[in-house]
Amino acid sequence: MTETFEPKIVAFVCTYCTYAGADLAGTSRMKYASNVRMVRLPCTGRISPMFILKALQKGADGVLVSGCHPGDCHFAQGNYHARRRWTVFRSLLAFTGIPEERIKFSWISAAEGAKFAELINSITDEIRALGPFEQYQELQKVIETQSTY
Amino acid sequence: MGIQEQYRTDAANLLDSGAVKLVIGYGEGSTPERRRPIFIRSAEEVGRLVLDANCIANLSAYLVPEGLLSDGKSVAVFLKPDGIRSVNILAAEAQLNPEQVVILGFNIDAGLANPLPGRKANEFAPLLASLKSAGLSTDLQREADRLEQMTAVERFEYWKEQFSKCIKCYACRQVCPMCYCRRCIVDVNQPQWVNTSSHTLGNFEWNIIRAYHLAGRCVACGGCDRACPVNIPLRLLNHRMSKEALDTFDHFAGESADQKPVLATFRQDDPETFIL
Repeated sequence: MTETFEPKIVAFVCTYCTYAGADLAGTSRMKYASNVRMVRLPCTGRISPMFILKALQKGADGVLVSGCHPGDCHFAQGNYHARRRWTVFRSLLAFTGIPEERIKFSWISAAEGAKFAELINSITDEIRALGPFEQYQELQKVIETQSTY
Repeated sequence: MGIQEQYRTDAANLLDSGAVKLVIGYGEGSTPERRRPIFIRSAEEVGRLVLDANCIANLSAYLVPEGLLSDGKSVAVFLKPDGIRSVNILAAEAQLNPEQVVILGFNIDAGLANPLPGRKANEFAPLLASLKSAGLSTDLQREADRLEQMTAVERFEYWKEQFSKCIKCYACRQVCPMCYCRRCIVDVNQPQWVNTSSHTLGNFEWNIIRAYHLAGRCVACGGCDRACPVNIPLRLLNHRMSKEALDTFDHFAGESADQKPVLATFRQDDPETFIL
């Protein structure tokens, strides 16, 4: 019997939109994949690219970054700044061979509980199909075996 | 009179008249083809200045140490066009006042150093505009294209091999005029964002974050490439970031002193093809 691979996905979400959207999905009793671990932040503008690297370093197979739609930011412009950073960071990751399919970005408002549930299901399926991010995780294993001195 | 004599005279005049307190230029290095930065404070010393096609380092990095410009006095510095762009970026990021920087500009062409007219960064605007329209390095672009045609797995293997050589000496950071943070992200240890030992994963993180922090700021002076003791093609990563900034946001780093840093500004209609 082979077990299906269950990916670990870390979601960095803004508290005003996507987190509230996830809350709505929950209170509406919508089912979505349990592979996602949410990290709530004040704004997408607070999401440092270091967070994404750290998530991968700690064994995530995929990362989701999500916040308010453009124009809806609680802090007026945080998501516009975030969008530029993602554009640049995403191309850098792709250039260094970290597949862009593993790093997802989305806008989900507080009213979009259904979109949240669907998105989590679809990206979980996609990343499950990609399999574990072994190339990166092997490097972490090297550290763990070396750091016992 | 050759450019070296002319600029020695100019440096002496600037120091004698009190227009500048310091001249940052090139002197003889440890081998005949090497140049090292020298710091001249009196007109008697200008004979030590050398200017020829071997003067390739971007000396703008010596403008940012704490306190150098805080007395309001001016400093003269030998700069190629890439260095002039660096000064513009440092000014745009409020690290210095461009009025305090007297530029002794030169260009290296066909093995010869040629003078560039102008003394203040804003006088070089037409030159920098022409650099923007000339575009980024085609040699680096060819190499970037080669990498981008690989699969993600192959590209990862390529960079893994490159980054596995990294010894985390941070020479790339020390040489870079843009790396002026008092506390670099790699020195932050609560939390420890980037692993300190030089294993490949930590090297990946360091090199990725270094290139990211240079997005839209790198002027392709090549200092990091030359400083790297293990020859990681750092310039290639920087080039990819410059290309992204230019293609997506029409941002050519250091075009003028009032250009907004590309990641500290936005347009409401920025492209967002990848957002779900």
